Amino acid sequence: MTRREWLALISTAPLLRAAPEAPSAPVAIAKCSTYDEDVTAKLSTLFDQLGGIGGLVRNKTVTVKVNMTGPPSQRLQGLALGRTHYVHPKVVGAVAHELGRAGARRINFVESAWATAGPLEDVMLDSGWNVRTILAAAPGVEFENTNGLGKGKRYARFKFPGTAYMYPEYVLNHAYEDTDVFVSLAKLKQHYDCGVTLSLKNCFGCVPASIYGDDAGADDPNEKPTRGRSDVVHFGKRQPAKIAPPELHPGFSNTGGVRVSRVVADLSVVRPIHLAIIDGIESMAGGEGPWIRGVRPAHPGVLIAGLNPVCTDAVSTAVMGFNPRAGKGEAPFFRDADNTLTLAEAHGSGTTDLKRIDVRGVAIAEAMYKFL
Amino acid sequence: MRMLRAAVLAGFLPLVCAAIPKPADWVPVRWPWMDAASLDLLQGTAVNCVLVRHPEPAFTQAATARGIVTLAVITPGEDANLALAAKVDGVVFEGDFPAEPPALPVPVVELAPRYKMKLGGSAPIVGTYQGVWPGIAANEGASAHAGPTSSVWIDTNTGFLRAVRAFGASSVWLANQPPEKTAVSTARYQQVIAEAAISGARWVIAFDADLTARLARREEGALGTWRKITALAAYFESHPEWRAMRENGQLAVVQDPEKGGLLSGGILDMIAVKHTPVRPVAGDRLSPQALEGATMAVNIEGDDLTAPQRQVLRDFTRSGGMLLNGPPGWKDPAPPTGKITLDNAELQRLSDMWKDVNNLIGRRNMGVRLFNVSSMLSNYLGAPDGKSAVVHLVNYADYPVESVTLHYLADFPHATLITPEGINKALEVYKTDEGWGVDIDRVVVCATIRLEK
Repeated sequence: MTRREWLALISTAPLLRAAPEAPSAPVAIAKCSTYDEDVTAKLSTLFDQLGGIGGLVRNKTVTVKVNMTGPPSQRLQGLALGRTHYVHPKVVGAVAHELGRAGARRINFVESAWATAGPLEDVMLDSGWNVRTILAAAPGVEFENTNGLGKGKRYARFKFPGTAYMYPEYVLNHAYEDTDVFVSLAKLKQHYDCGVTLSLKNCFGCVPASIYGDDAGADDPNEKPTRGRSDVVHFGKRQPAKIAPPELHPGFSNTGGVRVSRVVADLSVVRPIHLAIIDGIESMAGGEGPWIRGVRPAHPGVLIAGLNPVCTDAVSTAVMGFNPRAGKGEAPFFRDADNTLTLAEAHGSGTTDLKRIDVRGVAIAEAMYKFL
Repeated sequence: MRMLRAAVLAGFLPLVCAAIPKPADWVPVRWPWMDAASLDLLQGTAVNCVLVRHPEPAFTQAATARGIVTLAVITPGEDANLALAAKVDGVVFEGDFPAEPPALPVPVVELAPRYKMKLGGSAPIVGTYQGVWPGIAANEGASAHAGPTSSVWIDTNTGFLRAVRAFGASSVWLANQPPEKTAVSTARYQQVIAEAAISGARWVIAFDADLTARLARREEGALGTWRKITALAAYFESHPEWRAMRENGQLAVVQDPEKGGLLSGGILDMIAVKHTPVRPVAGDRLSPQALEGATMAVNIEGDDLTAPQRQVLRDFTRSGGMLLNGPPGWKDPAPPTGKITLDNAELQRLSDMWKDVNNLIGRRNMGVRLFNVSSMLSNYLGAPDGKSAVVHLVNYADYPVESVTLHYLADFPHATLITPEGINKALEVYKTDEGWGVDIDRVVVCATIRLEK
């Protein structure tokens, strides 16, 4: 056994220990053919099927991490971003409305927008989102770009309780700490490095480029990042800015499929997701963005929501026609992609065992849209 | 020789103009046919000027009878007098002629290489046959797992056209032809017309070989393309006031159009792709008036400015303007003969300057700021009286773009969306942190937002 293989083994050791105890929570599925349907009503039904969200969000600050992968300028076949790899603004508006209706006091939509720490509203406008409409969807709606300090004065520190896969502590924008409820609003799509992009992988975007970006300072954060996070997180070519601790096992892997999936699993522990919502009305198949060769538009026609991100992602993966417990090399975890879901399960974040998950609304078999 | 030709032109023009439109109003097309019946295609269109090779008297006569101007295209080595025998209304000298074209008793249009364009002259039309074929540049990321890239590059002539217009008020013709062995889509024809028009110029309509053949056979698809081409030309020709407007942004680029400004892909195009409104100012026309309303200026001319010109820039900064000078010793390159784009070495040389310009601009609103326009180029033009302005948009994607947002600084509480599809509707104007905003639902190939007091 080489040192590298040994490190890889010990970094997945929690998988062997924790899987049986991982919690489960119900997941609801609804069919929704187009964004012209009453998305708000569909979401409302989903939340009702989960037992309602009033108890979760009433009088609370709710932070919603939206999925806006890549720059707004890169589009698949010229299609609107929300029809391919971003969550659709109508779903965002519907979520705001439903959270407001359920009594949320403050609804903060956040994303670490690609290669900028500028106002998130600007990025949304550049993405063809009508910011005024989203603002009007509920009282207390705000936006924050979490790619740097944003509106905060300091970064929030999320220390991993126990043994993390990658970093012992994650240093993030304050919005991820200054919240009572954390929602991951993601897209139903595949991912080159992680197999699937769902509510768990969406939260990779919590990691600020100011600290973990290719042009982050060696010592201090770069509050004007202009690049992605490949060098630090995907390929381990360098460590983050020293405000954040270095990775636990430098050099154990330089492939995104191994590293990114572990960061995502770690994040599921340090920044737990209370509500996972998956926009699968329209999407893309073959990857997470138009920069992946061979991607194509997809039309699954589903909305999915759940109170546990691992369970929600497991059900969503099954809806995509994949085995959520598949191993490396099996669809959709091709090449070096490790199964993020089972890594998170091993951390105790939730179960991937479909037999243990209460699926409500439309059955998986009825909702299935095969991505391959 | 030039004075003689001007004198001859001056003597003949009144006669000519009595019968045909003024040269400034000519809407040109390269006409590949010589049968009179082909002119039926022009009926009811805004196109009123045909450029033909080897004209024949019968054709010219038929065109004249329809009120259409016929211009004979003469290339180097050919005798223009032969064309005059066909009683054409004018002559186009197209190409890189070794000497001045001869004086002729008819209006003359020179379609010269860019480096030989007679900028600032008295000719009613200044033109070139050299242009890039506009469109979104192909993505170089061909690997299976290319990462995201931040910007879309659009090959465009708009920076060049603005630089030419900065030198004078002539009508500008851009007479580049479709790429060879390419069947150009209808949308691409519309884009090339629109990008010239939003820059105050006219593209000399030219057909690719496929469209030429199909139009000759009057195929319905080709006729549909032709109808869309002429409809777009008519759209811009129906708004002559737009052509009289001038670039209205708060960012001025001081650049000699005879040097870097004549190249495509330079600073002006880089700024355009960032959707920052920019006004080119020719170095020798640099004056306090030329910088009126500007808050930032970029001096590409470096040390080449005269002392009075440098004083204008000093006064600009003393009155609160921000000035970016090129690096010490910086010189803007004069384009080598025949070149119209920057090569890699020149791009590399420009990159330092561009980084500074990019940092200077940042995400500031320099008059207007556009959102969701990555596949578009724009132009912000103001009326001379300051009472109105327009923002033109051209979409280079093959798909319509939905949900475009415009934020603007000037106090224009009224906005109207005008499109070639016939939309003419008032837009809801709302206040933003920095001024005003409007939302545009959809842009197909082009659209214009008229802003008014």
